[in-house]
Amino acid sequence: MEILKQIFTIVLYASLLIHVLLMGVTAFRLWNGENIIDRLMASDILSNLTMAILVLGTMIHHQNIFLDIALGLAALGFITIIAFAKYITDKRMF
Amino acid sequence: MESVLLIIAIVSVSLGTFFSGVGVLGYFRFPDVYTRLHTTGKIGVFGVVFLLVAAAVKGDAAWGYALVLIFFLLASGPATAHAMASAAHRIGLKRKHVLRDDLADFERKSSNNGSAPPEAERLSALHDRNRA
Repeated sequence: MEILKQIFTIVLYASLLIHVLLMGVTAFRLWNGENIIDRLMASDILSNLTMAILVLGTMIHHQNIFLDIALGLAALGFITIIAFAKYITDKRMF
Repeated sequence: MESVLLIIAIVSVSLGTFFSGVGVLGYFRFPDVYTRLHTTGKIGVFGVVFLLVAAAVKGDAAWGYALVLIFFLLASGPATAHAMASAAHRIGLKRKHVLRDDLADFERKSSNNGSAPPEAERLSALHDRNRA
């Protein structure tokens, strides 16, 4: 039981490190992407990885407030991607 | 019982991290926009959802929030992928290593042939007016 809890903590911190590294690599691709859809995809990946880091923070710090922030971030990312895709297609927002 | 839940949480966190890594790797290695969109969807749908399964199973977190977030992600991931793919096709990005493009053929046929159905004509005129 105790050894399982220690393994779980180690797995959580390793996953946090991997997600931060993936966010840095993706931010580099957001800086010099090939075309505009590529950069839009990079911002989508950054939103999802930030949500994953918030969920890991819930499990590490035993606080549920991170899940509330993740819910708001999910809604905001969804609206952002839909609005930018419509703007790219129609050359205007509304 | 609790050790079983802990093992499920460990496996879920490992699977979610694996899917996030594979998604970002495919985003860097795949040749064109549409295949990259395929692997980008894996991060939102599998990577975050497996972490949320771990957070719901672990016990001291609020599993209701995690369940709501899982359903929202499963609903919004395909919608965002479809919006980005539709925008990429509308602004004319080409696919690589592909033999046929049925949607482009259909649009060319319905715009040149003169025998397009009236509903498609009306939608096309509306779209042209919106673009201008």
